[in-house]
Amino acid sequence: MSIFEYNGSALVAMVGKNCFAIAADRRLGVQLQTIATDFQRIYKMHDRLFIGLSGLATDAQTLYQRLVFRHKLYQLREERDMKPETFANLVSAILYEKRFGPYFCQPVIAGLSDEDKPFICTMDSIGAKELAKDFVVAGTASESLYGACEAMYKPDLEPEELFETISQALLASVDRDCLSGWGGHVYLVTPTEIKERILKGRMD
Amino acid sequence: MGDSQYSFSLTTFSPSGKLVQIEHALTAVGSGQTSLGIKAANAVVIATEKKLPSILVDETSVQKIQLLTPNIGVVYSGMGPDSRVLVRKSRKQAEQYHRLYKEPIPVTQLVRETAAVMQEFTQSGGVRPFGVSLLIAGFDDNGPQLYQVDPSGSYFSWKASAMGKNVSNAKTFLEKRYTEDLELDDAVHTAILTLKEGFEGQISGKNIEIGVIGTDRKFRSQTGLRLVSNGASKQKVTDKWEQKICMVWKLDMLLKCHVK
Amino acid sequence: MTKSTIELPPKGGFSFDLCKRNEMLFKKGVQPPSFRKTGTTIVGLIFQEGVVLGADTRATEGPIVADKNCEKIHYMAPNIYCCGAGTAADTEAVTDMVSSQLKLHRYHTGRESRVVTALTLLKSHLFNYQGYVSAALVLGGVDVTGPHLHTIYPHGSTDTLPFATMGSGSLAAMSVFESKYREGLTREEGINLVCEAISSGIFNDLGSGSNVDVCVITKGNVEYLRNHVLPNPRTYTSAKGYSFPKPTEVLMTKVIKLKEKVEVIEGGDAMEE
Repeated sequence: MSIFEYNGSALVAMVGKNCFAIAADRRLGVQLQTIATDFQRIYKMHDRLFIGLSGLATDAQTLYQRLVFRHKLYQLREERDMKPETFANLVSAILYEKRFGPYFCQPVIAGLSDEDKPFICTMDSIGAKELAKDFVVAGTASESLYGACEAMYKPDLEPEELFETISQALLASVDRDCLSGWGGHVYLVTPTEIKERILKGRMD
Repeated sequence: MGDSQYSFSLTTFSPSGKLVQIEHALTAVGSGQTSLGIKAANAVVIATEKKLPSILVDETSVQKIQLLTPNIGVVYSGMGPDSRVLVRKSRKQAEQYHRLYKEPIPVTQLVRETAAVMQEFTQSGGVRPFGVSLLIAGFDDNGPQLYQVDPSGSYFSWKASAMGKNVSNAKTFLEKRYTEDLELDDAVHTAILTLKEGFEGQISGKNIEIGVIGTDRKFRSQTGLRLVSNGASKQKVTDKWEQKICMVWKLDMLLKCHVK
Repeated sequence: MTKSTIELPPKGGFSFDLCKRNEMLFKKGVQPPSFRKTGTTIVGLIFQEGVVLGADTRATEGPIVADKNCEKIHYMAPNIYCCGAGTAADTEAVTDMVSSQLKLHRYHTGRESRVVTALTLLKSHLFNYQGYVSAALVLGGVDVTGPHLHTIYPHGSTDTLPFATMGSGSLAAMSVFESKYREGLTREEGINLVCEAISSGIFNDLGSGSNVDVCVITKGNVEYLRNHVLPNPRTYTSAKGYSFPKPTEVLMTKVIKLKEKVEVIEGGDAMEE
């Protein structure tokens, strides 16, 4: 078993027209046993910046705490919020620092820039960035997510269409992955508001 | 220890609450060559005297205005060798920031880091404070900025400032001349005039140095620019800023109109 | 001074904190993770006036294509670029780090960076890490001493060559170079030969794919031709897209209104009159 499969996870982020969505499943398991069905994998750094952490849950939470620390320190020092690109570089640097003893986490970062331009990005566990224009995925369901997103995604979706696309892609994918599922958690972010939604999914 | 028992250790306050070594460092700055900076509406100009001890010194080898990052320049008054240490540390700091965030360091952050180094040297064992004050000129998302950093590690943002010999005269002169809506050309003129105020001997392109940064966020110093214009002399200067600065930069011509 | 307990931003260098724990996990039978690789075909050649570098744009994670259009030609200095193959994070980090060192060196010396300087910095870092930093590089640039092309292996050994290939597609690319390279190629011929070599990697090596990136470096000029050739465009998108007849079942919605951005007008003076 790969260490990334210990807890199971599915993460996806998509870009729409002046908006983005980031979604995750809600299962926390220990191998095949389900521990929780309301687990949080997506975290808010500030109003327009979110990070999802797939992989080993313990590392995800530790890493999240470190990121919060560094982000708050930056906010205090520079009296401004971090740009999504800047934050992605910071995460990458933190992960690469542990090149030879990595956190077993694969982050997905999504944010809106000051000019309301959406930004999404993912990394492997040692901080190799992948900037995509359309969508990024991570977690144990990533293979099926790749397939679903490749088929369903189209550019410049309006917020509600984007929500529907990302939700359908997520739910379709986790149904083919036994380690993730149990509903979904979606954040839909536009320049004016954040919509947080809990999705109903299969409970088996 | 001629002065008093309190100049023995840097970390000893005198009864009046002063750190005497820092005062001495300020004296070193005060007797250094004059430097000044002016923040214009859309640019910053820094300038300094470049008096050499003898005419035999090759003046092209002396560069008092230096780059910290492509969009931040610095000039010092006081001890040259001390400034080099600070320049080196600041450049490294800027590069470290860049490597972490892949974004150029904001002027305020670099100033703060530089000031932190200077403060550390007023409190550590086995070292002495820096015998320099710095004027840091930069242009970033927050617009044109001019900062002065002192040996104590304190820093201030200025609209226009001077340091070194003749500070008070220069500052009074700047106070009279300064307006909020200063243009780049005016600022360069004012800078030269201010330098000329307390200048001993004839001012020329060889014994002063000027650095400019504007909306293109590229800091150019006079020596640097001379290189640029020499190298690019065949190419037509298309960049708006480059043109403007090249005009301002005909320094010797400029000086003639001031010197008569 | 005692080490402070709160965590401070790192000063650089690696942290080995988690090595023991991870080692324990691996011993218990979990597989170590795989990292994102650039399966990669990267090449370079010297032509009449300078150097041409080329790369494909596929990044892989095991058998999965992780990125269909990534950048493998990294900036080192205004006159030096470097293609990277191997673990993506390593190539990225090592080129960034050396690029930083070169910049400081340029500030210090006031001169243009030399290719050998970059080469030495890269190889000494890689040698120090005994191949564990797995970056295989093709380094090219033009400096005061003319055009240069080098390859650097993960263990720190280097070659100086008129034409070079690296990565999993290196054999496919080298077969093209070996049959067609000659001295004194023109710029046009150089670019075409590089494109052909990369294409051969893209089509014959599974680790390489998508598009061709090219970078042409000549004295005093760099031309970065991102996606110079696009031999694999996506053809199967449906213009209509998908429609979902039945919407997703939403259990809960929470809406957080964001504060509107307020423009701060500086200087109240204007208002007073």
